[in-house]
Amino acid sequence: MLRFLNTAAHGASTLVRIIGQLSAWLGLALVMVVSFNVLGRYLAGIGSVALQETEWHLMAAGALLGMSYGLNQGGEVRVDIFYEKMSVRVQAFVDVVSTLLLLVVALVIAWLSIDYVQNSYSINEGSPDPGGLGYRYLLKAVLPVAFILLGLQAFAMFAHALTNLIRPVSPPSS
Amino acid sequence: MTPVPFTEILALCMIGAFFLMLLGGIPVAICLGATGLIFGYFGFGPMLFSLLPSRIYGVVTNYTLLALPLFIFMGIMLEKSRIAEDLIEVIGLAMGGIRGGMALAIILVGVLMGAASGVVGATVVTMGLIALGPVINRGYDAGVACGVICASGTLGQIIPPSLVLILLADIMGESVGTLFAAALIPGLMLSLLFVGYILALGILKPHLVPAIPAQERALTSGKQLAVKLVKVVLPPIALIVLVLGSIIGGVAAPTEAASMGALGSLVLALLAGRLDLSILTAAVRGAFITSAMVFLILIFAQPFGLAFRGLGGERLVQDAFSLVPGGLNGQILFLMVVLFVLGFFLEWIEISYIALPLFLPIFQSAGVDMAWLAILVGLNLQTSFLTPPFGWALFFLKGVAPPSIRTIDIYRGVLPFIAIQLLGVVLVFFYPSLALWLPEAIGW
Amino acid sequence: QSTFNWKMTNAYGPGSPFYVEGPGSPTDFCAKVAAMSDGRLNIQHFAAGELIPALEGFDAVRSGAIEMNAANAYFWAGRIPAAQYFTTVPFGMNFAGMNAWLYHGGGMALWDELYAPLGLKALPMGNTGVQMTGWFREPITGVADLDGLKMRIPGLAGKVYAALGVDVTLLPGGEIFPALERGVIDAAEFVGPYQDRRLGLHNAAKYYYTTGWHEPSNTTELLIGSAAWDSLPADLKAIVETAAMACNVESYTWSEANNAAALKDLVDNEGVIADVLPDDVIAELKAVTDRVLEEGAAADPATRKVHDAFMAFKAEYKGWADISEKPLFSLPG
Ligand code: NA
Ligand code: NA
Repeated sequence: MLRFLNTAAHGASTLVRIIGQLSAWLGLALVMVVSFNVLGRYLAGIGSVALQETEWHLMAAGALLGMSYGLNQGGEVRVDIFYEKMSVRVQAFVDVVSTLLLLVVALVIAWLSIDYVQNSYSINEGSPDPGGLGYRYLLKAVLPVAFILLGLQAFAMFAHALTNLIRPVSPPSS
Repeated sequence: MTPVPFTEILALCMIGAFFLMLLGGIPVAICLGATGLIFGYFGFGPMLFSLLPSRIYGVVTNYTLLALPLFIFMGIMLEKSRIAEDLIEVIGLAMGGIRGGMALAIILVGVLMGAASGVVGATVVTMGLIALGPVINRGYDAGVACGVICASGTLGQIIPPSLVLILLADIMGESVGTLFAAALIPGLMLSLLFVGYILALGILKPHLVPAIPAQERALTSGKQLAVKLVKVVLPPIALIVLVLGSIIGGVAAPTEAASMGALGSLVLALLAGRLDLSILTAAVRGAFITSAMVFLILIFAQPFGLAFRGLGGERLVQDAFSLVPGGLNGQILFLMVVLFVLGFFLEWIEISYIALPLFLPIFQSAGVDMAWLAILVGLNLQTSFLTPPFGWALFFLKGVAPPSIRTIDIYRGVLPFIAIQLLGVVLVFFYPSLALWLPEAIGW
Repeated sequence: QSTFNWKMTNAYGPGSPFYVEGPGSPTDFCAKVAAMSDGRLNIQHFAAGELIPALEGFDAVRSGAIEMNAANAYFWAGRIPAAQYFTTVPFGMNFAGMNAWLYHGGGMALWDELYAPLGLKALPMGNTGVQMTGWFREPITGVADLDGLKMRIPGLAGKVYAALGVDVTLLPGGEIFPALERGVIDAAEFVGPYQDRRLGLHNAAKYYYTTGWHEPSNTTELLIGSAAWDSLPADLKAIVETAAMACNVESYTWSEANNAAALKDLVDNEGVIADVLPDDVIAELKAVTDRVLEEGAAADPATRKVHDAFMAFKAEYKGWADISEKPLFSLPG
């Protein structure tokens, strides 16, 4: 049972990692697009509404897709005043509770955002600015995708924590 | 006396549960998201939560947050390309026997970056990436190092341009320009108070902020030092000048200017011959993770903020206000206390929206100068970035600090700076011209 | 008799005069409704950011979580292109003409027709009156001055300016001042004298051009969820409609009074140079506007219908205004 859980967790974690490594380049794209817009306007007096909107589209996609990858790479921030003094087992218990809560919250938000995307899709939402980017529901669709990925990552962390709780020696997985 | 409504009791319980979970070691984002969803659900059922996607979408598409990923990219690029590695050390050498020299350098960089950016967290994360490791390696006390980085990093909130001031201008009916002008002197005054504190530490507790030992300094001749300074210090300074210069020179709006820093860091790494695919990949991934962790907290603060609102948390504040004894100064003092206390568990935007509209009508009808009040509020909100356990600056620094840095180091380190900031509030309170002289003088 | 406790969100931030606070504002609307209904319809008002971000009110009302939202219909142009026509149209109509069309020229019926399929209903609830062209760092003497000009101007007007060589930027409200002050942009459009002075724009640029060809008036939209609306008894519906109408007049007249005083202050005390755009610039802007509006109408049948109705009414109204109000304003002072 635990073995099956860990295999599934490993798969989830791998998927999150691959998607994260790919979407990390959104950050570089953001730097390039904003710089291009600034320098293009200043040096050549050129600019486009679509490229300006691309700025926050890139930020939004990156911020959302980065959540799961950040946790995958151990980026969570916690107050460790008491946590660091706990035994490995108690820490594992806190982690089991944390990851379970995260799993539930991520899935609830993913579920809530499906209607939000549906609303946008049903009226073919685009930019209110002429010349802006269309297909805004595609950007909004990143919401449920990102929170499902976050749920997968939470599941992977949950399996890891549960294993630690039951068998306090960490298995050599991700 | 009317009984406290059920929902307000729930709001209090939510805050309590949040603190328990936070202190229990559950990651910040999860504490915020879980307590928000659970207590919000009991308070007003599922309906209001259909607003949650709107709030999250609003955060990730918020144009003014663009500076965050851009500055983080700049900071990580400097770190990964090892350009930053020697920076603080060379400054320490250049400061000679002055104890606390590297901390003074951090304050200076904080002021400069603050003048270039207005976003919470951007400066703290960047400075944490660049400076924290090196100064601790040079024997600085971890608490002092964390404290000075957090405090200098939040200076950007009071030194214009500033998101906080832009929001306050909107809420308080002052022009953005007036508040920018009003904030400049208090912001610089605060920076000087920080400098004074570090200099005092250097005299009273020299072991916390050691200068680089004389023998080691002797190994580097004046000429060698000058060369090192040019090679190591110039590039990052050039970046800050690039960011600031693009604002002052009319090239970029304050938010966009961060892109000049990020692009510049790529160019610098390239010029230094340190930009290969593996370094670029590492920097891109590192920046992505760090930005995402900042956004993760911002995103998960949304259920909490929505629930606090939905549960009528603002009425708790209102009820408390009705109990305050008369007198304008008493009411201003109470506002300051409320802002400070809310800062323990809410982010500054929520605080501004919850507390200010309740109080403003009273102060407006009493003829209080709104620009002066806005600066008092701004200084107070800046303090809230530092107040444990829920201070944004603390989390952002924790997110980028080496594993050896414990939360308690950060808490310990910021306490003196919180005291200094409160001193700043007191000074502006008793000497309103600190805020009001400049806008008057330049006609803004 | 049942009591209704509703929520209203707003696209504008806390404290904004006209858009949130003051006579005829959305919070005033809530107060009026509460008073007229003797507390049977209580509407709790949330400024932008308090409950949801500025431009999320449309989806919130559609989802049923919120009953009402205050905004401008053209914010929804990405969702319903024809919504533009219910806020303002470049070279369109002033307050009198716009409301003549809405209330008596079939405008409201078209608005209902457009929104009903989405489960929404709208009422006009306010108007800024005529706006200003905007703030310019350098004088505009002819069309050539627009070429390469960097201007902050969102929406349809941005597309028109772009056709004349203007480099359109979309900076958020808070960055207009620092960007204009440093010359990142050469010009910026905001609202009118009272609101613009509040933003401090006169400290960043001195040339203040008129008239608001791009926004000859600007309607505040009260958006209501159809289900919520249908649940109201007839008397409360009448109260909502009447309060919205009252706010429409009160906010407009409030704007006129305050803009008059603010413009005098800006010119007399702040060294602002208020001037009219040159005729050739106006002629070019008009030509491009006609083209842009026609493109929009050709692309979307609903827009075509609203556009044609609006333009037909405008033509008739202009015939009347040309011999009534126009000469009136030309009478000796
Ligand atoms: Na700043
Ligand atoms: Na705090």
